[in-house]
Amino acid sequence: MTDPKQMMAPKSAKIAAGAVVCVESEVRGDVTIGARTVVHPKARIIAEAGPIIIGDGNLIEEQALIINSYPENIMPDSEGVEPKTMTIGTNNVFEVGCVSQALKIGDNNVIESKADVGRNVILTSGCIIGACCQVNTCEVVPENTVVYGSNCIRRVQSEKPQPQTLQLDFLMKILPNYHHLKKTVKASGTPLRN
Amino acid sequence: MASLLQPDRVIYLVRGEKRIRAPLSQLYFCRYCSELRSLECVSHEVDSHYCPSCLENMPSAEAKVKKNRCANCFDCPCCMHTLSTRATNIPAPLPDDPTKTTMKKAYYLACGFCRWTSRDVGMADKSVASGGWQEPENPHAQRISKLIEYYQQLAHREKQERDRKKLARRRQCMPLAFSEKYGLGTRLQRQRPGAPISALAGLSLKEGEDKKEITIEPAQALDEVEPLPEDCYTRPVSLPEVTTLRQRLLQPDFQPAGASQLHPRHKHLLMKRSLRCRKCEHNLSKPEFNPTSIKFKIQLVAVSYIPEVRIMSIPNLRHMKVSLSPASVFGTAPAALGVNVASELEDSSHHLCPFCSIVAFRKSNKIGFFIKVIPQKEEDADVTVTFRMRHDFRNLAAPIRASEEGGDAPPEPIWLSHHVELRLGPLAA
Repeated sequence: MTDPKQMMAPKSAKIAAGAVVCVESEVRGDVTIGARTVVHPKARIIAEAGPIIIGDGNLIEEQALIINSYPENIMPDSEGVEPKTMTIGTNNVFEVGCVSQALKIGDNNVIESKADVGRNVILTSGCIIGACCQVNTCEVVPENTVVYGSNCIRRVQSEKPQPQTLQLDFLMKILPNYHHLKKTVKASGTPLRN
Repeated sequence: MASLLQPDRVIYLVRGEKRIRAPLSQLYFCRYCSELRSLECVSHEVDSHYCPSCLENMPSAEAKVKKNRCANCFDCPCCMHTLSTRATNIPAPLPDDPTKTTMKKAYYLACGFCRWTSRDVGMADKSVASGGWQEPENPHAQRISKLIEYYQQLAHREKQERDRKKLARRRQCMPLAFSEKYGLGTRLQRQRPGAPISALAGLSLKEGEDKKEITIEPAQALDEVEPLPEDCYTRPVSLPEVTTLRQRLLQPDFQPAGASQLHPRHKHLLMKRSLRCRKCEHNLSKPEFNPTSIKFKIQLVAVSYIPEVRIMSIPNLRHMKVSLSPASVFGTAPAALGVNVASELEDSSHHLCPFCSIVAFRKSNKIGFFIKVIPQKEEDADVTVTFRMRHDFRNLAAPIRASEEGGDAPPEPIWLSHHVELRLGPLAA
């Protein structure tokens, strides 16, 4: 396809200074990662159908999958498909093995292990999607909602979950001791020289 | 296929007071009566109480006083998970110098599953890690205890009158059950002859307490009832604030309708029970006393004594056509037992399957054989094969009668026969 827009979109990840992204993680496509974000090894962030912008202070654990993929009934090469940007806010936690395709995620959310968030869900802030819960609806999840249980019942909690600052600090100190990190690239496009 | 090993595929029949069909893994074998027993034909007795989260053993008397609740652990009122205590640092003014603040630890209860916290209901953070949490008291507690005392006294008085009448008429002894009006049910009393009825004693009074008369005033009906709020029909229901029926009924004292009144309750204790054969009064299953141990002191389960039949594979079953279905019999140690399989004529609810069994292979403790299946009914959902299995059983536990020569005679094997049903599933199209 000789679409000039697609030729100009950068295909490499832009990792802000202060973020810790392990080399063993898979970051494909146009992905922007904010400061103080930790991406564990074996995490996968795949921007197929559009760019992904990840904010600051997020924690993306092993085998988590954040994917901006084409909706199932649309072929990748068909005309008229605009690349939609996936935005992820600050202080979110993507626990081990979760799958997130939600296009818009706010701040302070927690997606627990093996949870599955569909493409048409919009998480506001303070939401907790419990372990193994699948949320495939087409809705805006209100603030401070907890989805839990095998039937995905919901309740509203009184306060948002605490940001994992202690854990983030610990990981930013320890992970570089055991893993190589991906080079940070400033958002303007010029790579840092070591 | 793992579905062939599902427990409900092979069912054994237990001939007790009722005819019960259950898989072998759920049955017990009384080796003194040499019969299978199911959970319904044994008597259950409470061994010990323990808390499932802190695994603390509690004597029965203490459990009765605490209403079978643990003293340390709490249940989440929202999802019934165990609550954990979390600590935060809050600034608090020093007692001697109000201007300076120091960090003090404050504790609150939180649920890891549904993220409920004790702050949701308005319970203040406590400064002690454990023991600071109180359950709200039932507003009707006094009236209830007074009513219970009154009825205890009434029952005691009636029992005395009846006993006096019994002696006067000089009749045969009436069964013990009739003299206790508000005591245990008669069935439970009958099954424990001679055993003291301790922790389950209902409302029996102690002797010598009938001196003071207790009077109660009857409940009074009120004419005026609180009116419903005006927007009762028009206000939209906010689902997160309404409690579910299950949450409500777990707190029968209050049954709150609003989620902001759901207080945590102490965790319910679990109990270890021992099972006893009703005919010979021997123990079939007796667990260890320690709550952390899962072993048994006495464990007479059926799988260790009765050979187990397993379906090896299910062929395509067609109406009125013969199929061969392989099955195997797993014996228990010690090996060397003889097994006979014969067909059994049953009532018409099962499929009559005249078959002949052929031993296909033998291997250590396993025998494989074929069952010829001819489904009789066309549209039935489940093809069931029933047969009778006989095996010999050496009772190593029974006392060996000393023979006259003085030598030890080996225990005589007795032949036990069991009625087994195999569920082979639906007919193939």
